[in-house]
Amino acid sequence: MKLVVAIVKPFKVDDVKTAVQDFGVQGLTMTEVQGFGRQRGHTEVYRGAEYVIDFVPKVKLEILVDDADAPAVAEKIVAAARTGKIGDGKVWILPVDGVIRIRTGEAGSDAL
Amino acid sequence: MLSDLSLRGRAFGAALADAVDAALVEAFGDLDDAGGVALVALGSYSRRELCPGSDIDVLLVHNLKGRRSVETVRAMTEQLWYPLWDAGFVTGHGARTIKESIALADEDLDALTALLDVRLLAGAGDLTDELERKARELANRRAARVLPALAKAVELRRQRPGAIAEMLEPDLKEGAGGLRDVQSLDWGGWALGLRGGRAALVERDFLTPADQARVESGRELLLDIRVALQRVTNAHSDRLALQEHDAVAAQLGLESADALVRDLANASRDIAWIAGDAWSRVTDSLDGGAKDAVADEVLARGVWLRHGRVHIEIEPDGSVPPLRTLEAACAAAENAVAFDRASLSALRATGAPTWDVWERAGFVRLLRSGADAVPVFEALDHEGVLARLLPEWGHVRSLPQRNAYHRFTVDRHLLEAVAQCARLLDAGEEHLPPGREPSVEAIVARACRRPELLLLGALLHDIAKGMPGDHSEIGEQTAEQVARRMGFDSEAREILPWLVRNHLLMAEVATRRDLSDASVADNVAAACAGDAERLRLLYLLTIGDSKATGPAAWNPSKAALVRDLFVKAATAIERGAAKVVAADRRETLRERLGPERADAFLGRLPEEYVLAFDVDTMGMHEELLADVPTVRCKRIAGGHVAVTVVAADRPGLLVTLAGALTVSGLDVTEAHLFGTTDGLALDVFHGADPFGRVADDDGARVARTIERALAGELDLAARVEERRRSYAPITKPAPPEVHVDVSSEESDTDTVVEVHTDDDVGLLFRLASAFTELDLDVRIAKVATLGTRVVDVFYVRDSDSAMIDDLAAVARLRALLVARITG
Repeated sequence: MKLVVAIVKPFKVDDVKTAVQDFGVQGLTMTEVQGFGRQRGHTEVYRGAEYVIDFVPKVKLEILVDDADAPAVAEKIVAAARTGKIGDGKVWILPVDGVIRIRTGEAGSDAL
Repeated sequence: MLSDLSLRGRAFGAALADAVDAALVEAFGDLDDAGGVALVALGSYSRRELCPGSDIDVLLVHNLKGRRSVETVRAMTEQLWYPLWDAGFVTGHGARTIKESIALADEDLDALTALLDVRLLAGAGDLTDELERKARELANRRAARVLPALAKAVELRRQRPGAIAEMLEPDLKEGAGGLRDVQSLDWGGWALGLRGGRAALVERDFLTPADQARVESGRELLLDIRVALQRVTNAHSDRLALQEHDAVAAQLGLESADALVRDLANASRDIAWIAGDAWSRVTDSLDGGAKDAVADEVLARGVWLRHGRVHIEIEPDGSVPPLRTLEAACAAAENAVAFDRASLSALRATGAPTWDVWERAGFVRLLRSGADAVPVFEALDHEGVLARLLPEWGHVRSLPQRNAYHRFTVDRHLLEAVAQCARLLDAGEEHLPPGREPSVEAIVARACRRPELLLLGALLHDIAKGMPGDHSEIGEQTAEQVARRMGFDSEAREILPWLVRNHLLMAEVATRRDLSDASVADNVAAACAGDAERLRLLYLLTIGDSKATGPAAWNPSKAALVRDLFVKAATAIERGAAKVVAADRRETLRERLGPERADAFLGRLPEEYVLAFDVDTMGMHEELLADVPTVRCKRIAGGHVAVTVVAADRPGLLVTLAGALTVSGLDVTEAHLFGTTDGLALDVFHGADPFGRVADDDGARVARTIERALAGELDLAARVEERRRSYAPITKPAPPEVHVDVSSEESDTDTVVEVHTDDDVGLLFRLASAFTELDLDVRIAKVATLGTRVVDVFYVRDSDSAMIDDLAAVARLRALLVARITG
C-alpha cells in the first residue's frame, strides 16, 4: 500500500476530490496548511500598513491506495490541480507498512 | 428492565433502584448479626435516579468498636457487595462509623455532598438519621467554605467540559446546565440552612418559585435523555455523542435529532442561567455588607446601580418603557454587571418599542458593548424581552446546528458574531504604541462609516437558519423587514439585507476560487456595487462570523486567503473609482489647454500618469516638456520639496538623478517616474530638505549638480557613500527586513519589482544602480515611504524591451537588489 500526499492550492480541492473519487478512491483526509516553495512568501501593503505573508495557504491531501493505483491517483491529482502558474503544489508517494480499519479490524488492502 | 421502553427517565431510575434495593435487603437479611449496622444508599442511587450504567453508591454505617469489629465489618461487606459485583454493577462503597464519615466529609467536599441525602436500605434507622443530620449540620457550619467551593465548581464546569447548550457532544452530567448543576443547588440549600435543598434557596430569595419549576422540569428532561443514551450505548458515558443523536431521539419518540438537541439546549440553558444567577447572588450575600456603604449610582433615567446590580424604576401601572429596558441593558453590558432579580422580572412588562431614534441608538449601543452584552442578552432572553424587541429571535432560539463545524446553537452563534465584530471595531479604535503596526482588519474597521450595520448584520446574518430554502436569501427579506421596522435610513435598509444575503460570499470565494485570476476580485467588487463601504463591512462580517463559528472555521490559512481577496477587491473598487477620476482630470485638462493640446500631451505619457498628478501640475508638466532639459524645484506641503526633471531618457538616468539629488541633500520619500513615447523622461521627486539647500535658489544648485552628473563629471557612487557614512547612526542598526517580490503576472508588458525595506540614505540610488548594472530599463517607478519603511515599485524591461521571464535572471536581480540594500 502507498500513501499519496499532495499539497495543492485551496481552490483546487474540489476538483481534486472529484477526480480521485471518479477514479474510485474511497476516502481522503484534508488539512489546511501553510508553507512555502519556490513561490516564497510575499509582502503586501494595505493603506500604509505592511503585512508579510511568509507562508502561503495550501491544502494537504492524504490518500491511502493500493500499490498499483498510486501512480494513477498521483496523475489524477496533478491533472486536476494544475493551473500552470507558480505555486501549484506537489504530490509525493510514500510506502505504507500496514493499515487497520478501526471499526471492523480489517487489515491491509481490505481496510482501504 | 432495559428493554421495557415505557420505563423512562425517573421511572426507570426508580424501578432500577427498587430492584437493587430488593437484592441488597435480601443480602442484608442473610447477615448473621446485623446489630449496630445500617446499609444506606448515597448519590443518584439514594435519589432513585439510576441510569442503566450508573454506579451504585452504598455505605455500611456501623457503631462497632474494638479489634474484632474490623474483621466483622469486612466479612459483612464481602457478603453484601459480592452480589452487586457479580451482577455487573460498578459500585462505590465503603464501611465507616458516623464519626469517620463526618471527619472525611469535613476534609472532602464530594464526601460531604454525598452524605447530604442518604436513604436507609436496611438496618439501624437511627444511625442513618444521625449520619444525615450531622452531615447537614456540618454543611451549614462550613457554609463559608462550602458555598464558594460549590459556586466555583459551577463556574469551572462552564469552562470544562463546557455548556451543554453550546456543545455538539455535551456531557449531560458534568456539563454546565447539567444534572450536577441541579444537585449543586440542592447542596447549596443545605449549606444555607436546615430547611435545606432548593427550598432553602427559594426561601432566601436566591431562587424564584418560577425558576425552581424550570429547574425541576429541566432535570426531568436530562434524566430522560440520560437513561435513553445509556440504553442506546450500553455504557455508562454521559456524553451525548453525535453518532448517538438519532438513536436517542428515536427512543424518546422525538421527531428528529434536531428536536432532541433543541429541547436539551433549551432546558440546560435555563438551568445554567438560573444556576449562574443564583450562585452569583449567594456569593454576593457572603461578602455583602461592604457594598452596602456605597451610594446608588444613576446610570440612566430610571436606571441605577446598587450593590453591584442594575435596578430599574417600574411605572405605577407595572410596565417598563422600552427605552428604559434598552438603557438598563446597555448599563448592565457596559459595566459588566447583572440585573437585580426583581428588576429583571419586571422587564417582562416591557412595552413594545416604537423604534424612535433613542431606542434605535440604545439597541445599537447594546450590540456595540460586545462580549459583555452576551450575558445581558441571555438574561433578556430568559425573561422573554428579547423576543419582544426582535420577534424573529424566537425562531432561532436554541436552534441546533449539528455538525463539527459549528460550536454554538444559532442564537448563541449570532450573539458571538456580534461580540466578535464589536471586538474588530475596538481594534480599529485602539491607540497603538509607536512601532506597532495596525492589522489590516483594524485599518478596515477604522475606515468603516456605518459600523452599526456591521453589528446588525452580525446579529441577523443567520436569522433564517432552519427555514426551508436558502437561509441567506430568506434572511435578506427578514433583514429588510427588521431594518424597516426599526426605522433605519434608506442606505441602511439597502446595505443590511445585502450583508445578510452575501455573508458567505467572501469565505466561499476566498477558499474556492483562484485569487490570482483578476476577474475573481472584480466579481466581488461588482457584488459590492463598487462601494468600498460594503466591501469593508462584508470583510469584517466574514471574520466575525467565522471566528464565532468555531475553531474549524477560522485559522491563519483562511484568514490569509480572505484578506488577500479583500485587498484585491478593494484595489478593484479603487481602480473603478480611479477610472472616474482619470476621466475627470482628462476632461478638465482639455478645457484648460484645449482638447488638441491636452490629448497630444497625454498621448505621450502612460495611462498611470493621469492618476499621479492633479490638473495644475499636469499643466506645468506640459510646459516643461517643451523645454528640455529642465529642472524645477518647488516647496510643497509639510516642509517638503518637489523636484521635477525633464531630460532625454537614456540608460542609467534614474541612477544619475537619484544620486545627484542625494548628494544635493534631498532625502527622497516619494517619486513618480514616467517615460514619454518620444524618448523623454518626466521624473518627479518629493523629499525632505532638512538643510534647506535644495529650494533656496529655486533649484539652480540642484540643476547644476544634475547637469554635472549627467555629463559624468561627478563620482556619484563615492559621494553618496560618503554622505551615507556621515549620517550613519552611531550604534549599528539591526539589518533591515527586506522583501523583494518579482512578478510577471501583475502587468502584461513589464516585470513588476516591489522592494520593501527600511529607509536609508541613498537607497533609491543604490536600487537604481542595480537595474543599470543588469542592463534593465526602468519604465515607471513609484517610491513611497511609510514611516521608517519604504515600498518601491519598479516596472522594468530588459534590453530587448521584453519582460524578465528567465528564473535565473529573476534570482540574479533579487540577489543584487538585496546586496545593494544591505551592503
